[in-house]
Amino acid sequence: MGRYVLRRLLLAIPVLLGVSLAVFLMAAAVPGDPATVLAGDTASAAQVERIRHDLGLDQPLPIQYLRFLERLAHGSLGESTRTHREVLLEIADRFPYTLALTVGAVTLSTLLGLTLGTFAALQRGRAGDYLTMGFAIAGLSIPTFLIAIVGIIVFSLQLRWLPVSGAFSPASYILPTVTLSLHSAAVKARITRSSMLEVFGQDYLRTARAKGLRERVVIVRHALKNALIPISTIVGIQFGALLGGAFIIENIFGWPGIGRLATQAIFNRDFPVVQGTVLVGAVTFALANLAVDLLYAWLDPRIRYS
Amino acid sequence: MSGLLRFIPVVVLVLAACAPQATPPGPSGTAASKVGGSVTFVATTDPDTLDLHQTSNPVSSTIFGWIYEPLVYQDLDNSYKGLLSESWAVSPDSKTITFKLRSGITFTDGTPFNADAVKFTFERLQRVGAKSPIFETFKNVASMEAKDATTFVMNMKEPYAPIFHDLQTAYAGILSPTAVKAANDNIGRAAVGTGPYKLKDFQTGQQITLERNSDYKWAPALFANRGAPYIEELRYRVIAEPATQLAALDAGEADALGLRAQDIAKYASDARFKVFDSFTFGLTYLGFDAKRPPFDNPKLRAALAKAVNKDEIVQVVFESKLAKAQCCPIAESIQGYDPKLKDFEQKYDPAKAKTELDGLGYKPGADGMRTSPDGKPWRPVLYTTTSDTHGKISTLLQAQFKTVGVDLQIKQLESGALLAATPKAEHDLYLNGYSWNEPDMFSLFLSCDRITSSNRVLYCNQQLEDLIRKGRTELDQAKRMQIYFDAQKLVMQESPWQPLYMPVSKTAVNVKIQDLRQGQAGGLYWHDAWVKR
Repeated sequence: MGRYVLRRLLLAIPVLLGVSLAVFLMAAAVPGDPATVLAGDTASAAQVERIRHDLGLDQPLPIQYLRFLERLAHGSLGESTRTHREVLLEIADRFPYTLALTVGAVTLSTLLGLTLGTFAALQRGRAGDYLTMGFAIAGLSIPTFLIAIVGIIVFSLQLRWLPVSGAFSPASYILPTVTLSLHSAAVKARITRSSMLEVFGQDYLRTARAKGLRERVVIVRHALKNALIPISTIVGIQFGALLGGAFIIENIFGWPGIGRLATQAIFNRDFPVVQGTVLVGAVTFALANLAVDLLYAWLDPRIRYS
Repeated sequence: MSGLLRFIPVVVLVLAACAPQATPPGPSGTAASKVGGSVTFVATTDPDTLDLHQTSNPVSSTIFGWIYEPLVYQDLDNSYKGLLSESWAVSPDSKTITFKLRSGITFTDGTPFNADAVKFTFERLQRVGAKSPIFETFKNVASMEAKDATTFVMNMKEPYAPIFHDLQTAYAGILSPTAVKAANDNIGRAAVGTGPYKLKDFQTGQQITLERNSDYKWAPALFANRGAPYIEELRYRVIAEPATQLAALDAGEADALGLRAQDIAKYASDARFKVFDSFTFGLTYLGFDAKRPPFDNPKLRAALAKAVNKDEIVQVVFESKLAKAQCCPIAESIQGYDPKLKDFEQKYDPAKAKTELDGLGYKPGADGMRTSPDGKPWRPVLYTTTSDTHGKISTLLQAQFKTVGVDLQIKQLESGALLAATPKAEHDLYLNGYSWNEPDMFSLFLSCDRITSSNRVLYCNQQLEDLIRKGRTELDQAKRMQIYFDAQKLVMQESPWQPLYMPVSKTAVNVKIQDLRQGQAGGLYWHDAWVKR
């Protein structure tokens, strides 16, 4: 197992380098250079040129990329062209907020998805099934930003229960987390339902029932545990989607995470920060998927990594 | 319009209370009872840094405008008065300015403000300030000298009339040398100045909190309150999404917010808020790429300028609330505006526009759309930003041009891409604006040496160059204004720009804030304001 984890981690390095190169090339292809944006609309050509030189942007692209790699090897992602702070510091300030939001949404959406999906499977063809799947379709089709705005109007403006923006108190986490989790919960509910229905027809469930086990034990220990394998794959993939979704949610709720940092960095052509946020996102996604793969082994003892 | 807030004079935002001729209204309560409370503003983007030499970001300058103070400020009659300076003298050759500084002023770290601090600040600006909008100004400064604690001398290479404008901006605030050294020059989050507020907390991506400088006692005489501000804390909460900004205002999480046209009626009728308005120091214009054919022909530019109905733009896009149509390159809020220039305006006259286009060989085809003189289809392209406002104006211009038979194409680019595209002369027309409270704006936006940078219409005219040079070096105010009258007349006749409108800002403010007053130009006046608790 340890060797497997190590191998996966080592394999992630070329992937991350590939990601960094792709982002670097995309950044170079985007019209509008950082020096022009930083200098503002009143700057002279000489001023822009000086900023370009100060940032090393007058160097050939391969040299700029090699310098980025050199810094990376020394554990630095460079300095933000906008704030002049270390990119790692910028990310360290913001990442905990995004992680809290994403982990919260993964947890909530998984709990909600499993509960609703299992309930729908047990109620197959009955009103409960249709109601639950109706919720799932609504969760999939209503845009996240609309849910966010409606949430703010109802819970912040009408009921005055929750704050509108920021991350100033535990209550601040509720609206963004719930909003972010709804779409993912809908996906998981649908997968859980179909996965459970598939498991319901298996012989080992009939055996479990024949042994006289209580229905709750049959459902939770035998049906749900086996149905979890495809769901856990979705959880891993959805983690990435939630990280991406956090970009929108963070902008709407004034959430101080890396999603908003990245959005602003793109508009400001702050490429070191763009590189840094993408790399951190990629590392997080890779680790989440590794965790899911390890979860398989726990869920299904037949799976062994070596 | 980019950088809208950039050159709102720092003092207007921070201190100003009323017109200089007026007697300040008396306080409506005892000073001590007014102290306390907090006001939360909305910052639409994250401020990048509070290092005033390392940014041109308008949100940042609004915030550090409370912390740092410059030597001078621009009064509401556009004259310059001393803030950290008491007085100044200009040498006969206009190249040397000797400032007499105020004594008894301290930075919020307790160290004294003096001529050494001024010299230190401006030398740092020359060294690291490439991103500062006033960096170029200080390239003209040959040397600086701190003669004694209260005498600071600035020697310029050549006379430079806009120097006081540049010195009154938030970017020319004076730093505490001790604080800069203590922070190893990293003052992005360690701002220390002499202003009425000091930095309390910088929560990345969330909020910046400023606290009252209780030792502040050098507010200019035109304020009722000569001492420290009454409001204990000012907070800038970062909210990018307009719908969330409004929700924060409604929920009481924010106390003041600039409004969009569609929101004004709602807040004007809401008893919880009072709506203040003020002009801004800027202008939005329609530009023609004067370097590239066919718009290198001034007659064609003038003909198309006559197809522009400015009043319709103000009415339709701004509901006649957030903009005022302008005749001239210098907006009416800016020194140098002269109503007599209206005689030279390319006024809306579609019939005349059609006749002139016909005369230039741009004849309508079978579909009513004009072709170029060689018979080829003619579809000039308008470049502008992706802002909602610019999108609406562009669509309206498209419709207005269609009535004279011109098939205008619109290309909206994200601002960074737009800044990169215009020096390459990819565009035919250009819709954007400037924000600059000085008639010398010609040198930035219409001079030959800015063709590869901030002159987005690539207009170069030797006659205008001469006027720009004279205007920059002429310190006699009457003569200087005549120079800018001539410059505007020339630009209006040559039409590289068709001036459109001056933005007007409307701000909804929670009524718990008392004694807040409306400015004539540029902003709200907070120094006498207090929070009712």
